[in-house]
Amino acid sequence: MSKTTRLFIKRIFSSLIIIFLIITFIFFLIRLSPGDPAQKFISPSLSPQIAEKVRESLNLNQPLHMQYFGFLESAIRGDLGVSYNFRRSVVSVIADYLPFTLLFVSASFVFQLIISFILAVKSAKKLNGSFDKIFSGLALFFYAVPVFVTGVFLVFIFSELLNIFPSSGLKSFDFEDYSLTGKALDYLYHMILPIVTLSLVEIAIFYKYLRDNIEDVYNKLFVLNLRASGIQEKTILYKHILPNAINPLITIAGIELGIMLGGTLIIEVIFGLPGMGRLIIEAVLTRDYPLIIGCSLTASVLIISANLISDIVKAKVDKRLLEGSLS
Amino acid sequence: MKIKLKIWQCLFLLWLIILIVRFEQLINIYKLIFSWFILIIDDSKAALAQVNFDLADIFISGLLFILFPLIFFFFKKKLLFLFSRVSFASIVLILLVISFLFAPLITNRNPEFYKNIGMTKLLPPLSAVNVLHFEKENMQPITSLGKFISLRDEVAKKSFNDNIEYVDSTLANGKIIYYQKGIQKEIDNKNVIFENGKPLITSYTFYLGSDQFGRDVLTRLVYGARISLMVGLGSVFISLLIGLILGFLAGYTGGIFNTIFSRITDMFLSFPIIFLVVLILALFGNSLISVISILGFAGWMSLFKIVKTEVLSIKDKNYFISAKLLGLSKKQLLTREVLPVIIVPIVVNLIFQFGNVIIAESALSYLGLGLGENYPSWGSMIQSGQEYLSSAWWMIFFPGMILILTLLSANSFGLSLNRKLNPRLQND
Repeated sequence: MSKTTRLFIKRIFSSLIIIFLIITFIFFLIRLSPGDPAQKFISPSLSPQIAEKVRESLNLNQPLHMQYFGFLESAIRGDLGVSYNFRRSVVSVIADYLPFTLLFVSASFVFQLIISFILAVKSAKKLNGSFDKIFSGLALFFYAVPVFVTGVFLVFIFSELLNIFPSSGLKSFDFEDYSLTGKALDYLYHMILPIVTLSLVEIAIFYKYLRDNIEDVYNKLFVLNLRASGIQEKTILYKHILPNAINPLITIAGIELGIMLGGTLIIEVIFGLPGMGRLIIEAVLTRDYPLIIGCSLTASVLIISANLISDIVKAKVDKRLLEGSLS
Repeated sequence: MKIKLKIWQCLFLLWLIILIVRFEQLINIYKLIFSWFILIIDDSKAALAQVNFDLADIFISGLLFILFPLIFFFFKKKLLFLFSRVSFASIVLILLVISFLFAPLITNRNPEFYKNIGMTKLLPPLSAVNVLHFEKENMQPITSLGKFISLRDEVAKKSFNDNIEYVDSTLANGKIIYYQKGIQKEIDNKNVIFENGKPLITSYTFYLGSDQFGRDVLTRLVYGARISLMVGLGSVFISLLIGLILGFLAGYTGGIFNTIFSRITDMFLSFPIIFLVVLILALFGNSLISVISILGFAGWMSLFKIVKTEVLSIKDKNYFISAKLLGLSKKQLLTREVLPVIIVPIVVNLIFQFGNVIIAESALSYLGLGLGENYPSWGSMIQSGQEYLSSAWWMIFFPGMILILTLLSANSFGLSLNRKLNPRLQND
């Protein structure tokens, strides 16, 4: 077994342990909290025997450790229980909501990377020029502004004042009449404001990092050497500086991907989108225990795999980092 | 024109403005404090029974207000930042601190006050409403307790007031007839306060408009500043304590303790904290204390990392070893040897943390998990404003702008502090 594979397996193993710890923590946290989820299904006029039966059907009558081991046993088999609200298996509920969030996050992730890359390169062409100064200021501004304020303001400007984009929802009312491409365009039309809202903060972060990295690399001696050799500025920028400057961005991208999953939580509430964020909030507020566990499991798997992927990509790009990033 | 104001001059300007505009209210507060002391001499049990949060709030802000110049005079040698030039960020922060300390002095009504919702709901900024005053049905108080209570009712604005009525216009002939939204209502003459033979009508201006219950947006913003600052300072303090102590212990003792806590930090950092905070608040109930402590517990990781790495690098330095051999306890080592070295990165980190906590608090309020609907918080104001987006833009515009300004100034304050205090950055 090569060294890379060994490190890789070790890393996956430690990720699994972290996921296990998070799930255990949340399991006991929600079981120890005050309040009874069975209360919603039991009216006071119900006889105690039937009430006990309801509790039994929700698997809440057993002692805590029995519930925990039962949960682990079925979780290994891929069964996360039945959601109290949806009356369906948690896995199928999550399967309904997850694709939207994944699509949303990845679409805005690509959008962010492209926009911030273009902006950073443009301002790197003339560092401390007017373009650079304006966008550095804007980046600082959008970095500080919370997501829900930008969201509400964007809705205010583009939906209320200008009436260009819809303020919430995912489909137009005559969605069913459209052709396939029309449906896709309709989705896209509804997703523009959410994607922009989610992206503004991240664009600010990526832009700032990339721009500062480019500036750092510009000050290195090999650039001076290249210039002295008479190589064109354009070639220096695209062939020598950008590959060097992009590397630290990959770590940030991995972390930001995780933070973005948290950010979707609020954006899905603002725009009324059917995604994991709203599902999580709904599950928490209605004390739907199996769904809470299922959602947190999904979220932590997503985040940890995002970090893992970014580490692997980083190690692939720069072999020197292999040891540090995978251990 | 270039403004060359110093921070202390700016503070005094605001102090003077409040003093002039709210002179009557201030005198009433000092009368109230005086009558409370008389009450203590007369009947100490009743005096202590009267103390509650609102009263303590008024007392403290009144006393602080009069002591403000004295505090400045005595501590001006230590508070050097007061002599630096005013910038936009520091003006915003000064306004926040002033409204945090003197909220009952700045506005003279309760943030929850509403009356005649039909008349006052969703009024645009700068709209004035006529107020018809009724006579209070109270006898001349005889005991010192009665005096105290009648004074207190004058100073501490309640969330309700039966002695006023918002009106469009009035008509006085034998009986007072007044109009509210075109609906005619009558009332006996004897209850209404007269002035020069006409019923006394004053006007109240909603400077930043009113919300869907007819509450004053400006007042709620001022009190909301208190909530944001309180949550920010409280939870930053909690994260500071946890991060500092755990970081010091992890760096100092090393070994298994270090490994365990570093792993836990990584675990928390790789998980979206907002989800955990939402979970805990929804399950265990939300109050001011729980929001502060949970946001505090959620934010110690970056501080822990800073402190740990710094302690690890200090640990082998000669001065640290000699201090240890001199027999200093762990607490002394932390406060005397470690803190002076790491104070700059910690302070800068705390300021950014402060901004994050304010974002988190308003986001939680926005989701309906903040301090409850009845507490005026910027986040919950934005949330309730979203419903009235088309009809009442001021309901989200002002809280949103205040929130953005606060965060921007906290951010730029942190950056400039970092630039000023960090010698490594200065050399660049």
